[in-house]
Amino acid sequence: MKVSVIFPTKNREHHVKRAVRTAFKAKGVEEVIVVDGGSRDRTLEIAEREGAKVIVQSDLVYPGKGVAMRDGAYLARGDVLVYLDIDIRNMTPEFIEKLAEPVIRGEADFVKGCFERAAGRVTELVAKPLLRMFYPELARFKQPLSCEIAGRRSLFYMVEFERGWGVDVGLLIDFHKLGAKMVERDIGYKDHDMKPLHALTDMAYEVAGAILRRAIRDQKTDPEWAERYLRGVRAIDLGLQSGRGFA
Amino acid sequence: MRVLLIGGGHSAYFAANSIRGIDPNGKLIIIEFTSEKVEVLSKTFPFAEVVQQEIDGVESYIRSNASILDAVIAATESDSLNLRYCKTARENAVPLIIAILNNPMNEGIFAKEGVRHVINPYGIIPVELSEILGSATNIIYKTPSGSVMVASLRIEGEGELRKIRGKLRGSEDVSALLVSSSGEIKSSIEEADARGRLYLMGSEEKLRKILGSFRGRRR
Repeated sequence: MKVSVIFPTKNREHHVKRAVRTAFKAKGVEEVIVVDGGSRDRTLEIAEREGAKVIVQSDLVYPGKGVAMRDGAYLARGDVLVYLDIDIRNMTPEFIEKLAEPVIRGEADFVKGCFERAAGRVTELVAKPLLRMFYPELARFKQPLSCEIAGRRSLFYMVEFERGWGVDVGLLIDFHKLGAKMVERDIGYKDHDMKPLHALTDMAYEVAGAILRRAIRDQKTDPEWAERYLRGVRAIDLGLQSGRGFA
Repeated sequence: MRVLLIGGGHSAYFAANSIRGIDPNGKLIIIEFTSEKVEVLSKTFPFAEVVQQEIDGVESYIRSNASILDAVIAATESDSLNLRYCKTARENAVPLIIAILNNPMNEGIFAKEGVRHVINPYGIIPVELSEILGSATNIIYKTPSGSVMVASLRIEGEGELRKIRGKLRGSEDVSALLVSSSGEIKSSIEEADARGRLYLMGSEEKLRKILGSFRGRRR
């Protein structure tokens, strides 16, 4: 089985060379794809020089990680797709192999990577409680928001890619709904840039939105309640919480 | 003409209507991925054959039908898919391959992959704005091959008028049309007045040379 490695990027000129070279060293990797969100630096130039296929994601005005991931899947020709953050400083070919192997061996259709790190705040405070509420069968995943994933390419064409930060949890739920065999694989320690707290607000909102939209779609919740919950999250973001509560 | 149009979004809508206008008796096949859109497209374009295909199935369709296709137009909502389908069409020797871009920043990537005809649907916006807002020099149109370009130049003062007269006297392969400040159309540069706008048509190389000597000094 051929493996395609996909890196969503934006202004990552300092990481791209190492990431592309490392990806090409992994077993089974036939192509490396860099999907860019409109970099102003030399990310694309370096990626191309290193032999990656490059494309700028289709949405110019609101480029989001989800659009980049979707465009990467569309450009890929491998049987197995592996997505990784490009800024992993200690990335090795084994990261990729650990993710791809269960799919290659037929043990899984979708693999979620997990790694050693302090508990993610959005994971613990937003994603896990909502998953436990609506999709308890997915509560076993230690890191449902992990960006390190692998799966059969054909299945990525049957799911909906959220535009922004909700994409990872959205894919997890959609693959589950497809009845895909899913496993979590420990890829070891991941050394990468952590987001500052203020940057997590949008992420929390998008993650909550992705889960709730699917809960409504799958008739697991009342749309009105979900809407009120999301309004509540936004009110907290804006410092407008009035004590009215939201359920 | 037998044209395969891939995609069912806005770009494809305008492309389908244009194709119908260009060749009313031609055969238009539209490929879409979802059954809901196929149904809508069939009603919107009764003159076309609308086919549902999976994302990977489109390439097989192109391969199987390449010998009877005159053109493939990739107009999906993803430039990645457009690139994939254009490459498949090129590998299978479809005579005319056209990509309608979602993100103009991909123009160079498509060109590198050998897709010669790339349409940027948003390209006209800056041109129109420049014309309306009165930009000094403005490229209005150029053919995909770059062999012909149409540009405009606002003349500011007698000095510039003399300069452009001098340049055009030695450039017989450049056609000029002048719209005077009062809106009158003059076909000869000799009748031109300062503060009019000059429209030039010629090879890209020649026009860029002429415009280049006026740019830089202006806003």
